[in-house]
Amino acid sequence: MRAENLLQLQHRTQKCTLGCPVLDRCLAGGVPCASVTEFVGESGCGKTQLCLQLALSAQLPPSHGGLSASSIFIHTEFPFPFRRLRHLSRAFRASHPDLPCSDPCDRVFLRAVHSAHELLNLIPTIETFLLHSKSPWRPVRIIVIDSIAALFRSDFENTGSDLRRRSSLFFGISGGLRQLAKRFGIAVVVTNQVVDLIGDGDVSFGSLGNGLYSSGRRVCPALGLAWAHCVNSRLFLSKDEDEPPVKTRKMRVVFAPHLPHSSCEYVIKGEGVFGVEMMQHREEEINL
Amino acid sequence: MEVGMLPISASKRGKLLAAGYTTLDAIARASPTHLARGFPFQFQFSTLLSFSNWVCIYVQKFLFFSPTHYLTLTDIDVSESEATEILNLASKPSALERPNGSHTAVVGDLDNILGGGIKCKEVTEIGGVPGIGKTQIGIQLAVNVQIPQEYGGLGGKAIYIDTEGSFMVERVLQIAEACIEDMAEYSRHFHKDFQACDVKMHPNNILENIFYFRVCSYTEQIALINYLDKFITENKDVKILIVDSVTFHFRQDFDDMALRTRLLSEMALKLMKLAKKFRLAVVMFNQVTTKHIEGSFQLTLALGDSWSHSCTNRIILFWNGNERHAFIDKSPSLKSASAPYSVTTRGIRNSTSSCKRIKMM
Repeated sequence: MRAENLLQLQHRTQKCTLGCPVLDRCLAGGVPCASVTEFVGESGCGKTQLCLQLALSAQLPPSHGGLSASSIFIHTEFPFPFRRLRHLSRAFRASHPDLPCSDPCDRVFLRAVHSAHELLNLIPTIETFLLHSKSPWRPVRIIVIDSIAALFRSDFENTGSDLRRRSSLFFGISGGLRQLAKRFGIAVVVTNQVVDLIGDGDVSFGSLGNGLYSSGRRVCPALGLAWAHCVNSRLFLSKDEDEPPVKTRKMRVVFAPHLPHSSCEYVIKGEGVFGVEMMQHREEEINL
Repeated sequence: MEVGMLPISASKRGKLLAAGYTTLDAIARASPTHLARGFPFQFQFSTLLSFSNWVCIYVQKFLFFSPTHYLTLTDIDVSESEATEILNLASKPSALERPNGSHTAVVGDLDNILGGGIKCKEVTEIGGVPGIGKTQIGIQLAVNVQIPQEYGGLGGKAIYIDTEGSFMVERVLQIAEACIEDMAEYSRHFHKDFQACDVKMHPNNILENIFYFRVCSYTEQIALINYLDKFITENKDVKILIVDSVTFHFRQDFDDMALRTRLLSEMALKLMKLAKKFRLAVVMFNQVTTKHIEGSFQLTLALGDSWSHSCTNRIILFWNGNERHAFIDKSPSLKSASAPYSVTTRGIRNSTSSCKRIKMM
């Protein structure tokens, strides 16, 4: 084992664009490689949309903020939104006509996973695939797991031994993912659901995500404290419908080793997810 | 510097003055033989060590300049082995430089409750919830340990063991740049003559002096810590060893908890040995978990009760409303206290007033 010289490591961790300059600015360039990033949000706030878009924009060359790479998309919620991916990829091809790949969907490897153990056992398979695959669409630099919470929310009972088994699985999966991320410079993205927070909650959890509001409800990320240790960055997606026609969606950095707390509004359109400049809002916040 | 200003007992101060040593310069200029002859009190090794910073530096200075006077040390009631030890210490300038061996850890309030900073030769454990700033403190320490001695730092190098992959080079660069700016500011305010030193420090040098290890399993982690003895022998000026986090790999794949406890305590012993042998500060980060106590769940640091014996100092980071706080949970020399801090673009800083924080958000 040898010490790594920081000068020889890249000064800026390589990032993969989300396909929108405003969102990228909020994340200082996009989703970091060699690290595990989590998108948390209630259903319908755009987690899967962002993941699909990420899988496509990773194919962009580095000059456009991408990685020129394919992605592995592991889905646990059924069915997989094929139509939406087709739709997005058409829009993607239209806006980037100079890409070598004829169909961007070719570069997204899909895999369904039904249980947490299956996911754990899949990690060595992925490693073999990354090492020995003869696929023309190498390298793979993105792994998306959508969603991690679905795997854990049914199989386990709320007893001491089951919870221990569960958190040991968390660390096993996260350890495997981090190892892949480090070894191949992969950006790992997982999505997580939220649970409603009833009562006062535990204030000492602080920025774990308590005190986040979505649709006017106080929510916090699912899977608890142990899982929170298993991700490097956590991004919170929320939506609010104060006045029904106007939907505001917000992406917020809950914690990340390289980012300050910040937030950014976004909209979901036919062509994908786009950030909205929010100068006005920022001024309002300062006045508060 | 007047002898009268030394923080030593009044009787000793009186005797020093009576013997004609009114300034530290006078002590420094006197040869050990003279000192031994003229010294009115028994100059014991323990007293020597209990002296303040300055005396240590001066004692070190004259021991250093006249090692031929080695034998005369026996005249002043220092046993031969102690004398050898003093000489050994004296030949390593930084060892006695600060009697506590402490170094400017973080900034301001945190240093205050830590009694000056994270201590060398000790193992310090820092724990807290995700997002509280553990990694940020780690990076700040790795940068601060390199502050030259002229500025009150240690001027050493750092080893950073990363088990979680949260270490970001761009963040180190940011903190390093801020640190160099702060030093420039400091030298402008207090010393006109340290300009030359500014030129020497460059963010790239700071990056170069951090040895970064990425560890992907607990076997690797144990192997690395076994190897560190050799590594630090080759890189003598390492002054801090940061493990971020010690916990992560030990929370997976362990069915046999007894085995885990054994491995952990063996590792802790090795870390303590390293701290002692190479006079470096060891900082470990720990995660938190919930513990079921008397019907309610409480947050505690992970790895269990037996692990909590394996560190000398333990600091817990927690949220108090919107403010980050550090609390000294265990320490042999410090009283328990807590202090607020904040994580800014420039690194760990004193907590700002609340109105300013709202603006930042």
